[in-house]
Amino acid sequence: MPITFEKLSHEYHPDTPFAYLALDGIDLSIAEGKMTAIIGSTGSGKSTLVQHLNALLLPSGGSVTVLDRTITAGDKPKQLKELRKRVGLVFQFPEYQLFEETVAQDIAFGPKNFGMSEEEALAKAREMLAFVGLEESHLERSPFELSGGQKRRVAIAGILAMDPDVLVLDEPAAGLDPQGAKEMMSLFVKLNREYHKTVLIVTHDMEHVLRYCDDVVVVDHGHIVQTADTATFFRDTELLHQLRINPPAVIRLREALCANGFVLSDQLLEMEELAAAVAQAVKHHE
Amino acid sequence: MEKVKVEDLCFAYDPNTPVIQSVSFTVEAGSYTTIIGHNGSGKSTIAKLMIGLLAAQSGKIWMDGLPLNEANIYEIRNRVGIVFQNPDNQFIGASVADDIAFGLENHQVQSDRMQAIIEDYAQRVGMQDFLNSEPTKLSGGQKQRVAIAGVLAMQPQMIIFDEATSMLDPQGKAEINDLIQEIHAQGDLTVISITHDIEEVAKSDHVIVLDQGRVVLDGHPDEILQHEAELIRLKLDIPFALKFRHELEKNGVSIHAGTTMEGMVAELCRLRSKS
Repeated sequence: MPITFEKLSHEYHPDTPFAYLALDGIDLSIAEGKMTAIIGSTGSGKSTLVQHLNALLLPSGGSVTVLDRTITAGDKPKQLKELRKRVGLVFQFPEYQLFEETVAQDIAFGPKNFGMSEEEALAKAREMLAFVGLEESHLERSPFELSGGQKRRVAIAGILAMDPDVLVLDEPAAGLDPQGAKEMMSLFVKLNREYHKTVLIVTHDMEHVLRYCDDVVVVDHGHIVQTADTATFFRDTELLHQLRINPPAVIRLREALCANGFVLSDQLLEMEELAAAVAQAVKHHE
Repeated sequence: MEKVKVEDLCFAYDPNTPVIQSVSFTVEAGSYTTIIGHNGSGKSTIAKLMIGLLAAQSGKIWMDGLPLNEANIYEIRNRVGIVFQNPDNQFIGASVADDIAFGLENHQVQSDRMQAIIEDYAQRVGMQDFLNSEPTKLSGGQKQRVAIAGVLAMQPQMIIFDEATSMLDPQGKAEINDLIQEIHAQGDLTVISITHDIEEVAKSDHVIVLDQGRVVLDGHPDEILQHEAELIRLKLDIPFALKFRHELEKNGVSIHAGTTMEGMVAELCRLRSKS
């Protein structure tokens, strides 16, 4: 079942001088089982959008349907616990939200809250720690002794421990070193491909969008301006420039070469394909 | 001429886990030097040691030949500015003008001269229309501009950027990177940039690679970035132009372009028109 937004609006501080319409009549469907990138500049409304997925924010107008649960503007939804368990939301810099004395307790906090016994929750913590690529010896350490990248893994393990069906990540790779970012993205690919989780990633990194995501949703000034599969999205270089998006390196190189007289197809999105085409163009001239 | 010389520097927060181990390097005056390394390699610690925010267990640091010690620390801090990663943690004023003024007040600049200086430096970073804005009304990129203006107003001879763009969105990153390049191009300021951006490294004059608190590579990026296997082992990125060059080689085209995208395009155009 897809995630659907119908005419959804969200206004912050309604009926005050600070009223601000962050989302305006959003109609959007996000496919189940895919990895979807939500992109847009700072202040576009993308974080507001994803916070509706587990009812952290409620619509001011319209509705959102996630996993057979519909939340409509004006309702006072009850029993959100099930939804919040099934939709895991990882905020930016989640490592700032760690608080328990040990890594094990921190990861077990969520599952315990949702009714798991202490013992089960700790077993789950052990399993999830391994899943995010940290050694078991970390379990009894204080989360505050860990490096930034390790802390973020612990925070994500805490969300995964609740076994959500939908995972929403706001800038999960921001601030990590290149290798750390790659490992982090591979983790989400694994959750998506092998565990069939629906994964939504809010990101600014176009290399990650091109390499890892199936679909792209573009939010701009509270509106959806584009939804497309990744390949289609990156072919529309005019839209990329209009949105002031810095395209991935492959596309930048292709555009620079085309501006200098090369004739290269806009279907070329992989470095290997582009290199083969460029090599041919160069040799052809010899 | 040497701007900074670091010799045999050692530092640990906890005696059992050394963070900086016998680090030595020099930075040329007026150069754009980049320092790279994975998270936890000791990059930021070195920055803090260089401005005396942390004291080394052993080893020495000189700035313009002046040793960093208790007697010289204020003189050295007058010459060096630093811009940190998180724009929110370094905005101390209630407004943009206030924030730029903070350092000047500390340096007892006369108040009748202050306003002109604030306006001048706000202008240099493109924030002249925001002098009375509160920090909550500014984007991350704008806050970093203000931090840079505050540092520039102190007229340092060297600025250290400690991952100054890593928390910004792409537009903010591009803005700040361009601003740093512009500031560097304008005068004889020495820039040390601690970064993960390998394309920025490719354009710099000098790169120092850290791993587990040690300098493992040190030299011109054209040379250092050739050590690809080593960079990958160190969990670092390699520039796109280099990756692309290898793909071209697989297709029977070998070229001798540098490590930047611009160099790659120029060389391919030359090859194409040669025939």
